[in-house]
Amino acid sequence: MTSSFRTGAREGFAAFLPLSVGLVPWALVMGMAMISTGFSPLQAMGMNVIVFAGTAQLGTLPLIAAEAPIWLIIMTALALNLRFVIFSAAIAPGFRGTRLAERWLAGHLLTDGVFAVCLDKMLHNDDPRWRLGYFLAPAAWSWLLWQVFALIGILAAAYIPRQWSLEFMANIALIVLLVPMARVRPMLIAAIIGGTSATLLRNLPLRLGVIVGICAGIAAGFAAENIEHRNKQP
Amino acid sequence: MNFDTSLWLVFILIGLATTLPRASFIVLGNRVTLPGVVQRALRYAPAAALAAIVVPDLLVVGNELQVFNPKLAAGCAAVTASVLWRNPWLPFIAGMTVLLGLRFGLGL
Repeated sequence: MTSSFRTGAREGFAAFLPLSVGLVPWALVMGMAMISTGFSPLQAMGMNVIVFAGTAQLGTLPLIAAEAPIWLIIMTALALNLRFVIFSAAIAPGFRGTRLAERWLAGHLLTDGVFAVCLDKMLHNDDPRWRLGYFLAPAAWSWLLWQVFALIGILAAAYIPRQWSLEFMANIALIVLLVPMARVRPMLIAAIIGGTSATLLRNLPLRLGVIVGICAGIAAGFAAENIEHRNKQP
Repeated sequence: MNFDTSLWLVFILIGLATTLPRASFIVLGNRVTLPGVVQRALRYAPAAALAAIVVPDLLVVGNELQVFNPKLAAGCAAVTASVLWRNPWLPFIAGMTVLLGLRFGLGL
């Protein structure tokens, strides 16, 4: 570990620390939701370590509980994480000069919060070691917080009666993610069309309604964006 | 509910489905770029997917569309709390209070 890696790590950690408190309720809810779905504590921690992607974990839980086909679960997880293709493309220049294994690790640990905090400085520093430290310290801290508080949620959920419907907290968590997105009009339209068509098509075989809903929502949002764009032009 | 070893396979596949998008460009480097149209369309995927998962669960009770039900009321409470306040705990408290209040208090 070079000294510039350590300097970067210290600065990245300091920048991210205040934001990282926001991860705590999520991880607790995640732990409780996995237990409410019926996982054993080992299975729940297994999912938490292997997947490490809150939205995709929360989003696939109801599908796993309903014994939906594997491909549908995978497609849904993929759809929920596709935004990271864009984040990944944006932050990629920050990783020039780092080894392949480090890039894979960085990719696995990329989250919305770390992306938001690290992007700017990573693109404006010339030292690859400093940049890697600046990214990995907050990323590793997120990972640690996520695992620790999910475990606390898992252990706490075991003592909470099932009538309390804790699994509904997963729905609330998804709503909280959706609300700030839906402040932009085309995004709101994508959500409304996605939600409505998935509801109306819920009886399609293999729970295809979810995938059709997602595709319809993307198409509607994209169309709304284009219409808005055209109307703005003189 | 019983989950067997195939659950671990599902975890690994979900793990791949979430890590590959994140790692994609970081691993590939700058050699590949994404067309603008694709970037713009991809932005709508999470909102559409979140809604496609949540909305049916809030509106459907026993395969019937039901507008007046405790889950939808709780969902609305959570939406209101997250629109009005930045506190990350409040939507959970508001939503669960409404859900449990309607279920146990009013027996809905």
